[in-house]
Amino acid sequence: MSGYEPLAPALTACGHEGFTGELRIAGSPGGTFHFRDGLVVAVESPGAPGPEALLLRSGRVSGEQWAELVRESGGSRWPATALVAHGYAGAAQLRVVCSMALHDAAFAIVAGRVEGCERALVAEPFAQVPVGEQPARLLREAARKLAAVAGLPHPVRPDRDRPVPASGGRGGNPSALRLELLAHADGRRTARDLSFRTGRGVYTVTVEVARMLAEGLLELPGTPAPLPVLRMSPDGQGVRRRPPPAEPVPPTPPAGTELPRRKPGGFFRIRNGIPK
Amino acid sequence: MDHKALALEMRGLREQVAGVTDTALAAADGLLIAADTADSIDPEGLAALAAAGLGLARRTSEATARGALRRTVTYGSHGCAAFYAVGDTALMVVLGDEGIDVDHLHRATQPALRRIDLILTDRAVDTAVDTAPEKAAEGV
Repeated sequence: MSGYEPLAPALTACGHEGFTGELRIAGSPGGTFHFRDGLVVAVESPGAPGPEALLLRSGRVSGEQWAELVRESGGSRWPATALVAHGYAGAAQLRVVCSMALHDAAFAIVAGRVEGCERALVAEPFAQVPVGEQPARLLREAARKLAAVAGLPHPVRPDRDRPVPASGGRGGNPSALRLELLAHADGRRTARDLSFRTGRGVYTVTVEVARMLAEGLLELPGTPAPLPVLRMSPDGQGVRRRPPPAEPVPPTPPAGTELPRRKPGGFFRIRNGIPK
Repeated sequence: MDHKALALEMRGLREQVAGVTDTALAAADGLLIAADTADSIDPEGLAALAAAGLGLARRTSEATARGALRRTVTYGSHGCAAFYAVGDTALMVVLGDEGIDVDHLHRATQPALRRIDLILTDRAVDTAVDTAPEKAAEGV
């Protein structure tokens, strides 16, 4: 198991010591376990979509609405109260989304490569869930999922395999998730990439991709994806040095314009905190 | 220019940093040199936008006495677009999804930018010996 062995002692020690702060995991994809009094209250990883990505990709909240919620919540990273107050999600739904994202990020870290762990003390840990998880139990759950994926007929690594739809493989009545995966599997995206693109958990997508590979709906290209297209500039001279910035051209005074002209002095400067 | 080496650098970045979805390389004037992009991205338009964006950022940095421009990053609700200067001759665009660790991207990009700059410098030598048309025709 890729990341299990190096993670287990570090996470267990944080739990036993009642650690409050961050345990930063270096590696690929790596991530951060957030602890409060020895319990894991949030996990973030580039390898798994967080609650924000899940909500935004699901279309439940638009990007503009999210920005407004964050402003309303004083810049909070997770504007849970505002989400509920505006009716975008119920409190129980948010707890489920956060808990799923926490477990999913732990799975992504464990499934990847762990190069080291480093603690960082923070005054107030970032928390996604009100009641934290026992780190040992969280790790066992992630390891169980990893073993389940490895036991599938066509095991898939979340960050390695880049499937494409199988030629002539579509049949039956595929589920909504399978249709989405077929639409976005282009030979460039891993299961991790597909999970972000579709707004689903990386474990869910990894298992589904593995099943679709086994059923012949997806396939892995035998050769690496084609190299990027390279084009020369039309003059064939290749790249040139950036020209030095041009001398500023003095603005020509408008002649006979009827546009209103702003008068100088309409702004004020602040000196030592006092407007002048 | 070693097209294959350039292509491998760009694809290597996508495989090295989780969350990188697309990369493109353009001359400083915005003409596309190479693209490792999904079908949904117009690489030529992206190259032109990157040149304009970096130029504006460079002038902003000068006008506000912020020193030499390092990079510019545009953040959206579905990810980010990072623009890097490649020496004085070119620029690179890296698109990432919501999960990308931007600090990690910046660290991983620096050695790649240097290598890409060297490859592009070599290309100027190759062009002088008239190998460019054949390589361009290969569409590597």
